[in-house]
Amino acid sequence: MKYIYSMLGTVLLLASCQEKEALPTAWTFSRTIQLDGVNPIGIVEMDGKLWLSDGDQNRLVQIDKEGRIEQTIDSLDRPMHLDAQGATLFVPQYGMDNIATITDGSLGVLSLKDSLDAPAGFSVFKNEKAIADFYNNRILYHNGTDWISFGKEGRAGGEFYYPTDVQITDSLIWVADAYNNRIQVFDKNGSFVKMMGQDQKMNAATGIFVSETEVFVSDFENDRVLVFDMDGILKQEISKNIEKATDMLLVDTELYVINYRNGQLNIFELAEVDPQANEQVANKKE
Amino acid sequence: MRFNRNKINMMKKTIITTLVIGMMTVFAANAQKGMDKFMVQVDGLGCPFCAYGLEKKFKEFKGIKDVKIDIETGDFSFAYPAEKELTMAAVEQQVEKAGYTPITSKIERANGKIEESAAAALSENNTGTVTKNLMVAGNCGMCEARISKAAKSVAGVSEISWDKGNKMMKVSFDAGTTSLSEIEMAIAKAGHDTKNHTAEIGTYDGLPACCHYERIAK
Repeated sequence: MKYIYSMLGTVLLLASCQEKEALPTAWTFSRTIQLDGVNPIGIVEMDGKLWLSDGDQNRLVQIDKEGRIEQTIDSLDRPMHLDAQGATLFVPQYGMDNIATITDGSLGVLSLKDSLDAPAGFSVFKNEKAIADFYNNRILYHNGTDWISFGKEGRAGGEFYYPTDVQITDSLIWVADAYNNRIQVFDKNGSFVKMMGQDQKMNAATGIFVSETEVFVSDFENDRVLVFDMDGILKQEISKNIEKATDMLLVDTELYVINYRNGQLNIFELAEVDPQANEQVANKKE
Repeated sequence: MRFNRNKINMMKKTIITTLVIGMMTVFAANAQKGMDKFMVQVDGLGCPFCAYGLEKKFKEFKGIKDVKIDIETGDFSFAYPAEKELTMAAVEQQVEKAGYTPITSKIERANGKIEESAAAALSENNTGTVTKNLMVAGNCGMCEARISKAAKSVAGVSEISWDKGNKMMKVSFDAGTTSLSEIEMAIAKAGHDTKNHTAEIGTYDGLPACCHYERIAK
């Protein structure tokens, strides 16, 4: 009898200790910030403040949490996917064929020996820099010492058809290969590593953001953001409130997605979802 | 008396201000006087990268001023020195060189002369009009503009619409003047596969990046 009680106690103890099965999580729409007269193309955070490039109005704007413009930097020429490091903003000027640097309101130009033709994206990471050189169909990458150039026009792995955005991470360089409708990944010698999203029927992969665990790409014409794992497996398609998205940014636990067309900044949060509720996971537009 | 002197001073200030504003207006008018104004409608400028690319292409025209581009409406306008006598054909050629299809163009010359062109005149003979639906491959607004222009270039076509979502074209034409096959051939010649006609590979390759649709398997 004592043995039976002991067994029962053990079973109950094990049952109570068993961890609750974790539900899968997905990016779920949280809220919209409507921007006034801004058609954003790039987004970056600097010193806790959000900066947007407004290509149509040839300016950068810094907005508060409600989307109100607090600062404006004018007189740029089609600023695109920008980046920031320390107190410096790096702004590719598509119409001016250069990378503007803005530090404490003071405008400079990044010194380059090579000439650009419509730079569309810029990334800075530690002492490294990369430029998506749109019409030259290549990436310029500075490893801290030298600039290298890789890619040419084409459809094969390692070739580009109008790259629009780039991001450097610890060991890789990620490129939004816009009109090849895919993401391409390179090592820091410029050697092709892999591609992803090529089977997702994207129509203009205009922007990319890479977190530690996920890769986000804006599928401009199809009004969606695709979320891949680091191996290129599609995890989620976000389409709620997405209209002509151009860029994404992860701020703490929130995913910011900017819509070029209607000037919206839509914010998504990770939330547990019922795996049966496909619609919720897919986050389809209502 | 003192009041009157103040009043006179105020009047003087008003007159000077009016004169200055008037002179500035005259100077501004003169500055614009030597410029031709160009207005081109380019359908399908939905993507900022493409639109800014069009603008960039026009920077090759040295002396270009007041470039304005509305991505939503496709309205593209600029001013250009009149003495350079830039022609409508040169402008439309430059638009096409950038990979776009000009729909309508208008020039307001500095001397007051107006020049206009429409890409296609609608058929005046609507006798025996039929309407057909047909699948035409394409991707975007630029494709739509190109498909419409190609279809309208066929004599007898009166109306055309194309839905980029389901790739279906709806076309109305005078059956006594042309046929659906002729319209399909014109569209294929412009670079777009139709249900029954395939675009030449070279033409397809020459389409702008965003127009590289998934080809219709035959």
